[in-house]
Amino acid sequence: MEKESPWVLLAMSGLVILGLSVFGFAATRRLERIPRTRFQSFVELLVSSLNNLAVDTIGPGAEKYTPFIGTVFVYILAANLLGLIPALKSPTSNLSLIAPVALIVLVTYTYYGIRKVGVLRYMKHLAGEPIWLAPLMLPVHLISELARPLSLSIRLFGNIFGEDTILLVLAGITYVVIPYVVAIPTQFPVIPLALLTAFVQALVFTILTTVYISLAVSQEGGH
Amino acid sequence: MAYFIALVLAVGFGLPIAILSAAMAQAKAASTALEGIARQPEAAGRIQTAMILSLAFIESLVLFALVVLLLLLPRLPDTALVLKKIAGG
Repeated sequence: MEKESPWVLLAMSGLVILGLSVFGFAATRRLERIPRTRFQSFVELLVSSLNNLAVDTIGPGAEKYTPFIGTVFVYILAANLLGLIPALKSPTSNLSLIAPVALIVLVTYTYYGIRKVGVLRYMKHLAGEPIWLAPLMLPVHLISELARPLSLSIRLFGNIFGEDTILLVLAGITYVVIPYVVAIPTQFPVIPLALLTAFVQALVFTILTTVYISLAVSQEGGH
Repeated sequence: MAYFIALVLAVGFGLPIAILSAAMAQAKAASTALEGIARQPEAAGRIQTAMILSLAFIESLVLFALVVLLLLLPRLPDTALVLKKIAGG
């Protein structure tokens, strides 16, 4: 079996970006105040659910975080679902394309926290409640901050890579057992499970992003 | 030799122990969610969403163990070499 070119994953990611750009462009044409097309209603449903997620978790002024949270959700969902189309591969089945998204989430929620309360108060938040415990709590908090993108990316990678491997093994099982020329698609019963996994993992990634933003931004009400 | 025995045991038992613990945790989560739905059927939608979320979090811990397995798998010794060593040495 020859080795796959490393450009395949990048091409798949480019395909996701292209598809999402076309979707975004088409979704903002001919908007009407009371939606009459199903497409506009669907897009409004998507945007309002993401906005509700942000506002319910972060608090009243969270509309400015909705674009970032929405982009994370839609990109990861589209990337997960791409692997279920025959002859295409999900960009999220390789850690190299998930780790940048997780690192961007880390940098972004740190930036939001620093922009909201300033660098010194954010570092004080990282130091913990009794200020004399800071030499103990600061490294602990820093390590847990670094563990967040790690767990985000490994969770998503494990789920999507596992689903892809299951699909691959199930699709090849008839060839191993009965080496015929005609291929029987024995992976079809598992595709609904793969759909569920794609949705749930995108949702979990997005909810965790929202929770991290809310933890970084809500400093005033206590730890 | 003891190193390889320990390595094979780790590779063989690491993931199943994780799966066992995750199965018990998911069983508790699912059973509590079902009790909640049985007690208040009108809250079924919200409880179901929270249950799916909890199951996904517990499952992700198993996937950490899977990634460790994938990291350890190339380090296992070559089978033909080991058999030759056992037969010859």
